[in-house]
Amino acid sequence: MSGVNLSGIVKSYGAVQVVHGIDLDVAEKEFVVLVGPSGCGKSTTLRMIAGLEEITAGDLTIDDKRMNRIAPKDRDVAMVFQNYALYPHLNVADNMAFGLRIRKMPKAEIQTTIADVAEILGLTDYLERRPADLSGGQRQRVAMGRAIVRHPKVFLFDEPLSNLDAKLRTQMRAEIKRLHNRLGVTSVYVTHDQVEAMTLADRIVVMNDGRIEQIGTPMELFNDPANIFVAGFLGSPPMNMVNGVLTKNSAKIGATEVKLNGALANHVGREVVVGIRPEHVTLKASAKTSPLPITMDLVEPLGSEALLHARFGKQEMVFKAETKGDIAPLWNVDKVHVTTDLVKLFDAQTGQALNLRG
Amino acid sequence: MADKNLPTDGRFTRLFDHFKREWQIYAMLLPTIVWFIVFLYKPMYGLQIAFKDYSIFRGVAGSPWIGIEHFQTLFGNDQFLRAVSNTIKISALNLLFGFPAPIILALMFNEILHATYKRTAQTIVYLPHFISSVIIAGIVITAFSPTLGIVNIILGWFGLDSIYFLTQPQWFRPIFVGTGIWQEAGFGSIVFLAAIAGVNPSLYESAVVDGANRWQMMWKITIPSILPTILIMLIIRIGNVMEVSFELVILLYQPATYETADVVNTWIYRQGLQSGQYDLAAAGGLFNAVVAFVLVMTANTLSRRFSRTSLW
Amino acid sequence: MRKLSLMAALLAGSAMSTPVLADGHLQIADEPLELTIQMNHRAYPIYEEDWPVEQQARAWTNIHLKDATVGANMRTDSENTGRTEALNLMLASGNIPDIVGSSRIKDFVNQFGPEGAFVPLNDLIAEHAPNIAAYYAERPDIAAAVKAADGQMYYIPYLPDGKYGRAYWLRTDWLDALGLEVPETVEDYENVLRAFKTQDPNGNGLDDEVPFFARQWPELIRLVTLWDGRAHGSDTYHDFLVEDGKIGHGYVGEGYREGIKNLARWYAEGLIDAEIFTRGSSARDFLLSENLGGSTHDWFASTSGYNSLSSEIDGFEFKAFLPPASPSGRRIEEHRRILVKPDGWAIGHTNEHQVETIKYFDFWFTEEGRRLANFGVEGQHYDMIDGKPIFKQEFLDAGPVNRSLYQVGSQLQGRGYFQDYNYEIQWSNEFALEGIALYDTGDYLIPDFLGVAFNADEQKVYDRTWSTIRDYMLERQQGWILGNGDVEADWDGYIAQLESLGWSELMGVMQTAYDRQYGG
Repeated sequence: MSGVNLSGIVKSYGAVQVVHGIDLDVAEKEFVVLVGPSGCGKSTTLRMIAGLEEITAGDLTIDDKRMNRIAPKDRDVAMVFQNYALYPHLNVADNMAFGLRIRKMPKAEIQTTIADVAEILGLTDYLERRPADLSGGQRQRVAMGRAIVRHPKVFLFDEPLSNLDAKLRTQMRAEIKRLHNRLGVTSVYVTHDQVEAMTLADRIVVMNDGRIEQIGTPMELFNDPANIFVAGFLGSPPMNMVNGVLTKNSAKIGATEVKLNGALANHVGREVVVGIRPEHVTLKASAKTSPLPITMDLVEPLGSEALLHARFGKQEMVFKAETKGDIAPLWNVDKVHVTTDLVKLFDAQTGQALNLRG
Repeated sequence: MADKNLPTDGRFTRLFDHFKREWQIYAMLLPTIVWFIVFLYKPMYGLQIAFKDYSIFRGVAGSPWIGIEHFQTLFGNDQFLRAVSNTIKISALNLLFGFPAPIILALMFNEILHATYKRTAQTIVYLPHFISSVIIAGIVITAFSPTLGIVNIILGWFGLDSIYFLTQPQWFRPIFVGTGIWQEAGFGSIVFLAAIAGVNPSLYESAVVDGANRWQMMWKITIPSILPTILIMLIIRIGNVMEVSFELVILLYQPATYETADVVNTWIYRQGLQSGQYDLAAAGGLFNAVVAFVLVMTANTLSRRFSRTSLW
Repeated sequence: MRKLSLMAALLAGSAMSTPVLADGHLQIADEPLELTIQMNHRAYPIYEEDWPVEQQARAWTNIHLKDATVGANMRTDSENTGRTEALNLMLASGNIPDIVGSSRIKDFVNQFGPEGAFVPLNDLIAEHAPNIAAYYAERPDIAAAVKAADGQMYYIPYLPDGKYGRAYWLRTDWLDALGLEVPETVEDYENVLRAFKTQDPNGNGLDDEVPFFARQWPELIRLVTLWDGRAHGSDTYHDFLVEDGKIGHGYVGEGYREGIKNLARWYAEGLIDAEIFTRGSSARDFLLSENLGGSTHDWFASTSGYNSLSSEIDGFEFKAFLPPASPSGRRIEEHRRILVKPDGWAIGHTNEHQVETIKYFDFWFTEEGRRLANFGVEGQHYDMIDGKPIFKQEFLDAGPVNRSLYQVGSQLQGRGYFQDYNYEIQWSNEFALEGIALYDTGDYLIPDFLGVAFNADEQKVYDRTWSTIRDYMLERQQGWILGNGDVEADWDGYIAQLESLGWSELMGVMQTAYDRQYGG
């Protein structure tokens, strides 16, 4: 199978193992995002794919060729760096041409390639400028342009948007996505930002502590997080989690019982973590909901929605609610109604998701 | 639109407030200002002796003006003119060979991956900088001695006659410039190593992924990245063109090698200070300073125009 | 052990330092009088108020000198061209002490004295310094030599005693080993040096002998006297010379040309130390103790001392021999002890006790003062035996005598005094005395140039021309010897270049000044 293939990849610095055996298949033309908190090994993994770090153990194949001992330049990958890695003494055109010149591509060909890519990225007017005279977004585009001109088999992105302000980031995110759709090159993208991961990825790889927690499409991960970590990592604001004990038709949290559907009979008395996403509540009761009494702390208006910062017992929780043009009534809310179908349960000991609905 | 009639605090009130608020910063500035006044500006007062018939006893103010007589003496003296030409030639050689040497050394150090080896090598090449010129001269004299010098012994292995290098005018400049490089290249490389350390490592990684080898990275990344440092150091160096390290010349030259070795400062030393002609020495020094000033200004302007790098 | 005995001598001395002469006839002031002094005594920049000699002088005269020395003279000056940095520094500082004593003070006071920095001494000497006046009455030539251009004396000089300074030396044991005679002519000398070079006199099988060497390379130039040339007109290297009332210079003479030509030949042949110009002051020490050096031209006293090497080098014998005769048959020893040194002391213009000061200067010319300056303190460093000062044996044994004397404050060149050669005879070794006796058998010495004092206009000419001319002469001189150029071929150009550098003008002012000073 072509694409990028990691099998049992381990990275150690001396005695310290930082990546503990990663298995990942990136299909051709797929856009895979590695996401996780800082220090989780995602960048190291990416750099091992690029060849900037040696692989301690395991196999890396690109296009079915084993790459462990192949020099970076021969892996046919192109990388976009967090700080763009633009050569300050070269103008935009020369920056983009750098890799091509190194590879001794004929001059004329370089020129047309750069002209094409500059057109795609909207950099045509800036080809003569130096990086210092460009805005952050333009620099980001040049960095991508430098990768694109190479026509590599694989694009590697190392947190390319983290140096941009929020607005630009959103814009560039979309641009990257469009580019990928247009060029269809296999891409591995590292970020710590779950929104980026959600929006860009065909599949997301959530990493933590040098291990893969879960692989799946954005919606799979959002809907069925494999464990507390993934559940807490994806989604904004994060999922509310509270300890509880199962009864035969509910999870008992303190004095409150949250009704649940499913085959719980065999699990009565089991200690669980109950996960409720902020979106999965309503202010009106219905047959599919179960009430949760709260004390309102703060209402943050976001426009059409508001964030309700509230306390359930001593547990702080965040919910989303529609404003309908006025947040004043929200201050008076004293209970929310949990959509029982969407409540997630995790084993309190292992943190793994419990699927008891059969 | 500012209303001119609005009452504002007076300039001095604002200045006073400013000082009151920021006095710590000015206090920190003070030692530098004092240093400049005491060691640079006050001595400038003494420069006037270049235009006077100076007597130490009568003092700067008490000595009579004699116009440009000392400068006429200088430029009427073939030895002085020769010394100017020697200074420029030695400096040019220094610039040509001595200036790139620390850069090359720094680039070489940068390519050494083994940390212990690198540290040891660096220490060894830094060492000569800390040896006094007198010792350096002793080492050079010994090394180039016609009987026991290592250089002549090596020449002997190849069946070559021994050469009394330090009395041969044609050998003085190579030996002097070479000694200077040996002594200062290591220490001079520190500033370039620092500049290299400041280069964004991802530039290299990016180049690695793009397929550049170490040589290409050195030429296309390292050198262009430290070019501003190189240019600044070059400007400073050009400003010191007239300041050939004169202790070393004094220690190494002989009347036999005056022809190539006598530089402005040694000439001033012999003619001016040794014979107590401070006024003539001051005239020579002033000439040096003016030349250096013109050179620095020129170099700075050129550098600013062509590379956007300049001292000021 | 040596240190200990010196300490013991000093301790013993201080215990019995009650003035031997307590009658007070040397006393200058009734109340103790303090005068400040700057003293730069050749290598030492220090003046110690508690030198035993100073303590004794204080006790006798009631004059108390307080140290006010600034700066130090640099002593890298192997060419002996004269440096007065410390004096310049003192003058620049604006404070001139009551007394200023230094080596190389003459030109300094003769320049700044007339400007008012130092007190003219003629009248003071005539009125208050009978002993100094008596000396000058006997030696009008020396009185003339110390005067400035305005006819005034501004310093009291250090007057060396004894005739001989340097001599020709060679390894007589090598001569014996090779079956050679002591050279009588320059031709013999050349043959001896060649034999030293080629016949392996040190017997180590290596061609490593250095036939002629010198601690100061201008001593090599002095060899031009072997071809009737002249090199240094006084004990200052490259100095002018005087012959029959005419000022001249060795480096423009025919004999010099001939001499340089031959020295270049010697150098090329390896008869002269290849490193003569760079070996420096350790040459004698190194080459003799390594059993490499054959011959040199150096001081009697210090050079004869190397015969103690015979304990390490079998048969080592380094003896003085007479100056070899030139082709025309003349034998000249160009170096001698100069009659008057440009060293000594002067009175600063702010001195408020000029009479007492000149009396104090005169004290050192009294019998007691002269003995104190030469031998140290009676009972501590010497004893009077048969009316003569004789050094104590422990003092002679306590290391180099000259150094010991400096350390107790006697024989200081920064002081104006009249040396007594007897001080040196007592510790000169047999080889030195033998050599001096040898030199005394003939008349080899020639008169020294004692220097001239310029007026302001003459000084300007001298300043403008002399150092440039000297540099040029030395440059060519070394070049010719090293084979960079041929003296015969270059000579006319050399003379022409000197002329264009102002030679005639310089010699003109030299002669004018000389005539004025010595009444030519």
